[in-house]
Amino acid sequence: MVTIGTTKIEPTKIICIGTNYMDHIEETKLDVPKEPVLFPKTPNCLILDKNPIIYPKWLYNDRKYNRVDYEVELAFIIKDKCKYVKKDDANEHILGYTVFNDVTARKMQVKDIISKLPWFRSKSLDTFGPIGPIIKEVNKIKDPHNLKIELSVNGEIKQSSNTSYLLFKVPELLEYITKFFTMEPGDIVATGTPSGIGPVQPGDIIEATIEKIGTLTNKVILEGGEN
Amino acid sequence: MKIGRSNINPTKIICLGRNYLDHIKETNAPIPTEPVFFVKTLNTLITDNKPIIYPKLLYENQAFNKVDHEVELAFIIFQTCKNISSRFAYDYIQGYTIFLDITARKMQISDRNIKLPWYRSKNFDTFGPIGPEIIPCIDIDDPHNLNIQLKVNGTLRQKSNTKHMLFKIPEILEYISKYVTLKRGDIIATGTPSGIGSIIPGDVIEASIEKIGTIIHQVLLEED
Repeated sequence: MVTIGTTKIEPTKIICIGTNYMDHIEETKLDVPKEPVLFPKTPNCLILDKNPIIYPKWLYNDRKYNRVDYEVELAFIIKDKCKYVKKDDANEHILGYTVFNDVTARKMQVKDIISKLPWFRSKSLDTFGPIGPIIKEVNKIKDPHNLKIELSVNGEIKQSSNTSYLLFKVPELLEYITKFFTMEPGDIVATGTPSGIGPVQPGDIIEATIEKIGTLTNKVILEGGEN
Repeated sequence: MKIGRSNINPTKIICLGRNYLDHIKETNAPIPTEPVFFVKTLNTLITDNKPIIYPKLLYENQAFNKVDHEVELAFIIFQTCKNISSRFAYDYIQGYTIFLDITARKMQISDRNIKLPWYRSKNFDTFGPIGPEIIPCIDIDDPHNLNIQLKVNGTLRQKSNTKHMLFKIPEILEYISKYVTLKRGDIIATGTPSGIGSIIPGDVIEASIEKIGTIIHQVLLEED
C-alpha cells in the first residue's frame, strides 16, 4: 500500500513502456516499434516525493555497472479490474495520472540486453521507482497527450518534451496491455520517456515535472552515505 | 491468496532461468556465471486445478502458437529481507511448493532475438500455476535432493532431481536480495530441468515434486 498525495493505492504490478517518444526514437535512431514494448518493475522500487533514491554501493564501486540514469515518464493508475479494454473505453478504467521516474542501472541494462537477458535487475533495484507527488484524477486532465514534461538535475534542465510526442497513446496502451494481462485497481503503467536521458551521481537532486500534475523531487544518495 | 492451507500475499514472483545442469547440457547453452532472473506478475497465478487458459491471440497466430510447460521448485519468503547472507537464508524461507512457469515460447524467442524484454511471453493470465501446498522448511531436510517431474496426458516429459540445480537456494536468496527487498509471501521459482515441451488445449499437466505433492491443471482454449 502506498499513499500518493492523498490517494491510497495498492499496486500489484508496474508495467513500463520502452521507446515510446518520437523525439527519443529520432534522437537514438532506433526503429519505430510496431507495437508497444513492455517490461515490468516490481513494487519494491516505489518511493514517494522527497524520499531518497539509494544508489547501491556495490553498483557505485563496480566500474562495469556504475551508471544510473533518470527517465521522466507520465504514468497512469488503473481504477478497476479490467481485461480486453477497448481504447474508446479506456478512460473508464483509469483513476488518474502521475509522474514516474524510471530510474535505471544503464550499463547493467545494456549488458543484459546485449546478452539477450531479461531487463529486470537493472530496473527494479529498491528506490528506483519514484512516483508522485499526487494522482491527478482522470477527469481533471482533458488531454493527457498535450502536457509539458521535463526533468532537471541540480536545477539544470535535461529532458524537456511534451506528451504529444507519445507514439502509442494512453488508450492504445491500455487496449494493448489488457490483451495480455488482467489489470487490477492501483496497477501502474508508465508510458515511456522522451529524449535527454542521462546519468545521476550521489548528491544530485532530480526534479521531474509534468504540467497539470506537479513536480516529483528526489535526491540521490549513496547507500550507507550521510547526504 | 490461498495455497493449500496457507494464506499468502505475494508482492512479486521472481524466476530463475538456466539453472539446471541437465537442461543446460541438453541445450548446449553456456553455464551462467551468476543467476539469471526475471519477473512474472501476480495475474499469472492460479491454484487448485484451475485451468491454464491458452489465449486465442497466441493460438490463432502461427508466429506465436507454441506454449511450453516448465516445472520448478519454488520457495516462499517468510519475512521482509534485504542483503541476506547465504548462511542465514533458511531463516527467511517459509516453505516450498511447485510452480509451473508456463511460457509462450515462440513469442519469447522472437522477443529475445530482437533484444526485447522477456515479459509478455511469460505473463499471460493463468501462466503461473502453483501449489498444492506450501511445505514448511523444517519438513524438508534437503531441498536439493528431491525428485521433480512433469507429465502431459500421463506421458513423462520432465524428470530430474533438484540436486542438479546450478545455483542453490541459499545462493539464490543472497543474490536476489542484493538487488531487491523481498517481502513475506514473495515467490521465488528456481528454474526448470530438461524436457521442456509444448502443450495444447485439452492437455492435462501433472507436475510433482517429492515431499511436496502434485498439481494437476488442464489446458483450455480461451473462449470468446
